[in-house]
Amino acid sequence: MAEAKTILVRVKRQAGPQDTPQWEEFSIRWRPNMNVIACLIDIAENPVTSDGRKTTPVSYEANCLEEVCGACAMVINGHSRQACSALVDHLEQPIRLEPMSKFPLVRDLVVDRQRMFNDAKRMRCWVPIDGTYAIGPGPRIAPERQEVAYALSRCIFCGNCLEVCPKVNEHGDFVGAAIVNQVRLFNMHPTGAMHAHERLRAVRGPGGIQECDNAQNCVKACPKGIPLTESNNDVNRQALLDSILGWMFH
Amino acid sequence: MSAKTVATAEIPPEAAVVPAAVPDRSYFWDKIHSLTGIIPIGAFLVEHFWSNSYALVSADLYNRQSSDLQTIPWRVPVEALLIWIPLLYHGFYGIYIWSRGKANISRYSYGANWMYVMQRWTGLVAFVFIGWHVYVERFLTQGRSNYFDVAATLSHPLYLSFYVIGILAVSFHFGNGLWQFSNKWGLAVGAHAQRKAAWVAGAIGVLFAVVGLLIVCAFVFHWQPFQFYAQ
Repeated sequence: MAEAKTILVRVKRQAGPQDTPQWEEFSIRWRPNMNVIACLIDIAENPVTSDGRKTTPVSYEANCLEEVCGACAMVINGHSRQACSALVDHLEQPIRLEPMSKFPLVRDLVVDRQRMFNDAKRMRCWVPIDGTYAIGPGPRIAPERQEVAYALSRCIFCGNCLEVCPKVNEHGDFVGAAIVNQVRLFNMHPTGAMHAHERLRAVRGPGGIQECDNAQNCVKACPKGIPLTESNNDVNRQALLDSILGWMFH
Repeated sequence: MSAKTVATAEIPPEAAVVPAAVPDRSYFWDKIHSLTGIIPIGAFLVEHFWSNSYALVSADLYNRQSSDLQTIPWRVPVEALLIWIPLLYHGFYGIYIWSRGKANISRYSYGANWMYVMQRWTGLVAFVFIGWHVYVERFLTQGRSNYFDVAATLSHPLYLSFYVIGILAVSFHFGNGLWQFSNKWGLAVGAHAQRKAAWVAGAIGVLFAVVGLLIVCAFVFHWQPFQFYAQ
């Protein structure tokens, strides 16, 4: 019988935000069709490093395992991506796992992506429909428009676009392509468009669309294939027209 | 039952406490930075390459063109408003923008990401070159530079290489800057439009580089291919 194949996984570990990070290596038995999450599950079952030292299970976030929840984003072999769709057979070994660097670290591979939700709120990325009486059904949307909006609506707030963006870092306050894309999505919606001006004002605020400098890594990193650079440029156009017209007429 | 299924007007508490962002000055100053790159700096670049192309016709015509420009009315205020202030603003604000980014081409070596980094370095080289160029050709000559002053500068191999590097950096920065402008002002939105804009901007950058180097050749080799126009 052939000897069981093993996989080497190196994890950058950190017990808490204040602790110093250190790398631990794990040797895992290979099985067909493994993804990175499967490796982390195996480590949790038997948290022993490859040199036989007992350690704690690696903390990580994962949920849907089919690239629709956004929870398991991490830096795998230097590239920010979803761990569920990172198949072991397609990865160079040893597989290096690091937490995303643009968000506050919680523990090991877990980061706090709350800033994305706060920024979405600051940019008014929702359709306000709640009121004291029923306002009836919304306007119909042409299928062509639905098709564009659908692509934009697939954002899972994984944060890969922020992680790969040179303008998202501790020196700047750029909200990132995901949030700009939300502004475009909700401005496209006929009911959402009623608050387009408010969103376009917000997106010219601190960390707004002006921070985008077109390195365009976001569109390459997006696991959902959202045309993020188109969204950036479209929001640039809308924000500019809104600011010029606002300056003249408001 | 039906009354209970109707959505109630409950604002999530965390949404209520996050106020909408309001436009701040950085939007305005960023747009001014991007605009000054085209008007007036880009427009002046076109004029500058055009006037210097007279070196490809003859030294006399070049000197006449120079003296025409050197004797315009309101020369110093015009220079200050159309060249010096926009250039200083564009340069220093550009360095500020650079300081707010953190390049990552070693991890993500994609084409546009390279352009992002190149735009910053060529901008710096161009800024230093233009500063030196203005000092030597505008201030050391008391604003009376002519064909032979430029030819004398370019006869020095060190200065010549600085010119070549400067022209290439300026051309790249202008060409890629045009593409950036088309993105930042929402002129090219779709992926296809962005690609087309990139081709046009790239072609303009290459055109400037070629014309700039030909002008240098005119001074270095006293090469006037269009001399027959003047005869």
